[in-house]
Amino acid sequence: MEQLFEILNGINPGIDYETETKLIDGGLLDSFSILSLIPELEEAFDIEITPGEMIPANFNSADAIWSMITRLKEE
Amino acid sequence: MTYTSPLYLFAFFPLVLAAYYFCPQRHRSKVLLLASYIFFYSISGKLLIYLLLSTLLIHHGGLWLGYCKAEGERELLASQDKKALKAVYARKRRRILWLSIGFQLGILLVLKYSNFFVKNINDILHIFSFKEVVPAMHFVVPIGISFYTLQAVSYLVDVYYDKIKPDDNLERLALYLAFFPTLMEGPICRYNQTADSLYIGKPLDYKNLTYGLQRVLWGLFKKLMIADRLNPLVDNIFSTPGNYSGITIIIGAVLYTFQLYADFSGCIDMTIGTGEIFGVIVPENFRQPFFAKNASEFWRRWHITLGTWLKDYVFYPISLTKFGKKLGKKSRERFGKHLGQVLSSALPLFGVWLANGFWHGTGWHYIFFGMYYLVIILLENLLEPWVVTVTNALHMNREGIPYRVFQTIKLLIIVFTGELFFNAGNLTLGFQMFASIFTGFNWSVLTDGSLLKLGVSIQDFYAAFFGLLTVLIVGVIHERGVSIRDEISAWRMPARFAFLYAAILVVLIFGAYGEGYLPVKLIYAGF
Repeated sequence: MEQLFEILNGINPGIDYETETKLIDGGLLDSFSILSLIPELEEAFDIEITPGEMIPANFNSADAIWSMITRLKEE
Repeated sequence: MTYTSPLYLFAFFPLVLAAYYFCPQRHRSKVLLLASYIFFYSISGKLLIYLLLSTLLIHHGGLWLGYCKAEGERELLASQDKKALKAVYARKRRRILWLSIGFQLGILLVLKYSNFFVKNINDILHIFSFKEVVPAMHFVVPIGISFYTLQAVSYLVDVYYDKIKPDDNLERLALYLAFFPTLMEGPICRYNQTADSLYIGKPLDYKNLTYGLQRVLWGLFKKLMIADRLNPLVDNIFSTPGNYSGITIIIGAVLYTFQLYADFSGCIDMTIGTGEIFGVIVPENFRQPFFAKNASEFWRRWHITLGTWLKDYVFYPISLTKFGKKLGKKSRERFGKHLGQVLSSALPLFGVWLANGFWHGTGWHYIFFGMYYLVIILLENLLEPWVVTVTNALHMNREGIPYRVFQTIKLLIIVFTGELFFNAGNLTLGFQMFASIFTGFNWSVLTDGSLLKLGVSIQDFYAAFFGLLTVLIVGVIHERGVSIRDEISAWRMPARFAFLYAAILVVLIFGAYGEGYLPVKLIYAGF
């Protein structure tokens, strides 16, 4: 999880990722930030993120992103 | 029959509503489906066959994808080499998806675009002295094909990515594609937004009925007070652009933009209102677009369902291809975080804006319209840090009123210019009209009465101005998060009814209809 926070802060600093639950719905992360985030996540956690995962529910909070990472690692 | 025709408003819709109300709940979806097919048939006749074909094909495609997944999971349990088997079934499912999408897009391409392709091929061959090598093909395009095809594709892709389960209920799927209020101008609904609520056949209730009818009335207000009032003027300028120049062309572009907004968002209001009456939440398609700060935000507020469709089914799939990811990584490594991000988004954005332009119609001016916004949005993103630096250096408050006014003026110029090309008959005419703004500029047009010779009277101008002012005030209220209908419903009954009667009277008295008026055809129904 610490690694995830590091990545998120690298992409878009100044957001409290530990508590924020509306990263997408609140417009804090836009499509361009997500485009930068995906390859970083794929490389750091050895996963493949498909277009099917690109739903707000998977990116609205650090917890949601972590759940997606965990699920993709298991698959 | 259209949503504003007397036949629809005073016969078709009340009859459907009565049939829906008196039918047992389990048959209500059949009422809606039958009404949808009658509505479709009244406009496109036997072309209904294409809608039925699309419905059968996505039904079959979805079930096939589901069967393939279940078969793969069964075999996986007994398999030694799970990775290889997963890859086999992933390839199989991908082939089914492409085949199913191919059928949907194939029908759309042949019916809507074949003539465009044939004309361009012949034009190219003409350069080499060949004449009419490919014979022209003229197909009649069924109503709403551009909308329901995108819904069909979204259903198939969502099943492929397991966002939704394949639906074995043909009736529910058919209603999802054909629901009559969405047929002409959308919005582009997703399966998980409307399919279930349409199929359930919720009972009519007082709140849904009143809220829904109020929304329908608001849509009629925009359509009859603004779009139809302005139609003679807009039609005059854009059908004979050679007769006009300078300020008249600017006025044409400005009023066409407002007409388009009133027409399209008004139609969507009627669609959403009708959905509400049946207890179905149809997604919003507009969110005060002219209050946006820049072109990117404008497109997040204008035709929202097309924008999100293109984001989900064009932007991300292109970005997440191996090539897209590699390009993104290399760009960021080579050009740094910001420039790399902008450059890596150029490829998927090109796909999005090409599709956006092409979706709107078969003309190079539509493709130009898409490329126009591609360039503007890329520039906006590219220059963003520079704007921050400059405004900070000048001690300008980017949230202050002067800067917001500047942003709004800049956005309006961008939008009006885009719509000028969009509505010009072709690209050459678009450039000629744009150039004539500067070559024939003359302030006297505003005072010599020539604006009143364009097909609209001073009363039409007043009525349209009153309509636009009302839309602006309602927009400001909505932007502040206030629900006007909630406010009205809290009033005492006499005040509530007085307001609604007054609203109906305004539309009846000041709306443009009857003899002497040529209502604008629902503009987006033509796309």
